[in-house]
Amino acid sequence: MEPLQIAVEGTLTGLLYGLIALAFVVIFRASRIVNLAQGQLVLVGAYVMGTLLTILPLPVAIVLALAASLLIGVAIERLVFRPLIGQPVFSIVMASIGLLILLQGAVQLVWGAQTRPFAQIFPEGNWKLDALLINKRLLIGAVITLLAVEALRLFFLKTRIGLRLAAVAEDHFVALSLGVSVQASTRIAWAAGAFVSTLAAMILLSGNVLGLQAGDIGLRALPVALLGGLESLRGAVIAGVLVGVGEALAAHYLDPLTGGAMSLVFPFMLMILVLLVRPQGLFGWKVIERL
Amino acid sequence: MLPSGIHFKNHAEELRLLRTGPQRIGFALLLLALAAFPFVANTYLIGLAITVAITVIAVAGLQVTVGMAGLLNLGQSAFVGVGAFTAAALYAHYDVPMLLAIPLAGLAAGAVSIVFSLPAIRIRGLYLALTTIAAQVVFPIVVLRLPTGWFGGSAGIGIDRVQAFGIALETPAAFYGVAVCVMIVMLLIGFNLQRSHVGLAFRAIRDNDIASSVLGVELGKYKIMAFFAGAVFAGVAGGLYAFYIRYVTTDQFTIWLSIWYLGMLIVGGLGGPLGAILGTFAVTVLQEAIHWGGNRAMGAMPQISGGIIFSVTNIVLGAAIITMLIREPHGLAHRWNVLKSAYRIWPYPRA
Repeated sequence: MEPLQIAVEGTLTGLLYGLIALAFVVIFRASRIVNLAQGQLVLVGAYVMGTLLTILPLPVAIVLALAASLLIGVAIERLVFRPLIGQPVFSIVMASIGLLILLQGAVQLVWGAQTRPFAQIFPEGNWKLDALLINKRLLIGAVITLLAVEALRLFFLKTRIGLRLAAVAEDHFVALSLGVSVQASTRIAWAAGAFVSTLAAMILLSGNVLGLQAGDIGLRALPVALLGGLESLRGAVIAGVLVGVGEALAAHYLDPLTGGAMSLVFPFMLMILVLLVRPQGLFGWKVIERL
Repeated sequence: MLPSGIHFKNHAEELRLLRTGPQRIGFALLLLALAAFPFVANTYLIGLAITVAITVIAVAGLQVTVGMAGLLNLGQSAFVGVGAFTAAALYAHYDVPMLLAIPLAGLAAGAVSIVFSLPAIRIRGLYLALTTIAAQVVFPIVVLRLPTGWFGGSAGIGIDRVQAFGIALETPAAFYGVAVCVMIVMLLIGFNLQRSHVGLAFRAIRDNDIASSVLGVELGKYKIMAFFAGAVFAGVAGGLYAFYIRYVTTDQFTIWLSIWYLGMLIVGGLGGPLGAILGTFAVTVLQEAIHWGGNRAMGAMPQISGGIIFSVTNIVLGAAIITMLIREPHGLAHRWNVLKSAYRIWPYPRA
């Protein structure tokens, strides 16, 4: 394979990582909550959509699943994070670990541990562009990712509600003293986060096998979000592409020498090196702290 | 809080772990109960107690890194794994005696943790969690790729005969003795670390890292020390685990286990080693209760499977963590202390 083909494939996979990291960033950017349960949010979205797809026509099922994801997000905010407003960031991180365990258990209880097929939503196969092969599913996913990030950016930077959310991301007490409702922001954050997670689940699983291990993708997305900077929407996507291309190149050039280890280890080496130079991530807010 | 009438003549007396006569008697009774346990319990309960002892050590280590120093660690089970593989390899390949292999396992895990905590010099806060996830992801990859002569690759390492001081530890009751002694030693280290100047520096970093650096705490050095201390506990737990299960593979040390360790610590309370003890105990009791109930229900309704019991356990633990954080952020340890001081100053109301 030539390098260009590898780069294209890496970019497309990376954009999918970026979309999941985007869900993570959206929640942080609007509520200052670090959501370690990101993978499980994708998992819940995937199972809800997968189940609806087996009983309803495709467009209806997709719309209903996305609507359900908004409800799930709101429910999580109401039950878990609203009572924790004003608590230290650390408690909130711990609560997201509780949520991770809870959601994983709930999905297994409702749907069982056996894998099931996930209906095909996007066309399979490749488009040919000269000698390049481009995966149709991932290309459509990439377009959705780019649309999602630009739409969210407009929302966060150009609308009145979105700008309020920035105050909440800065500091809960500052936001409250400025009359910004942390509750409402957190609700928006989780609804949007769950929505983006379900979008990601759709692209990830279309025509694939759905199982409990789909939640592991969260573990790959969290480092991507940290690399991009927790506050930056475009950063999440750019970091996703970096990691995706790095992974693909490492898989092709270094894996034969290291028995398949390098493509898994390389993204972490890249991320730690970048963070050593820019500790707030590539595009994160550089916060000046005072005592 | 102590009742009125108890006075200390100097600061050293006040700092003691056991400060009053009744406390010493209580502690002696606890030791006696721990010693008597294998003579009254059945094999299943003894096995459970060994698992609890091993888990308490690992969670107490997590308490040092996460609770004392406030550094999120999502890779504790990888460090347990490093300890387990080191102990198993030393014992199986080099005939290192068990009681030497266990501390060496702790040091090996500590050494590995230094590699992963070096970025702490530059990276702060949650971004540091990344390096612990890296440790968790890299651990199985590296162990599986190393020459099979070292750690057995995907087959893992088995240990055939376990002995200490020439006495074979064939029954669970005999190994229970070793596990509990190691646990007591490690908990003593944990309690002492908490009140040492290093522990104070950890707590200063947790409360405000910039302020503590202004006061002269070297941030990079102490953060690395916090990871190191936590990993030494994990390594010792791993060493014990290797000798108890006698078979080590990478599948036993997943990120899911790391997350469970954190869950136990949150339920017990992040504030001190007592939280690690109570949390591990409470979660184990919860888990056993669900298993017991599940097995009873399985007899009546055959459609209930092991998977359902496992998922119910996860739901209950997840809900317990969230409820604890909302209702009692300081964990069971805080409840315990409230209860204790209420009992001590009875019949007067608590201030």
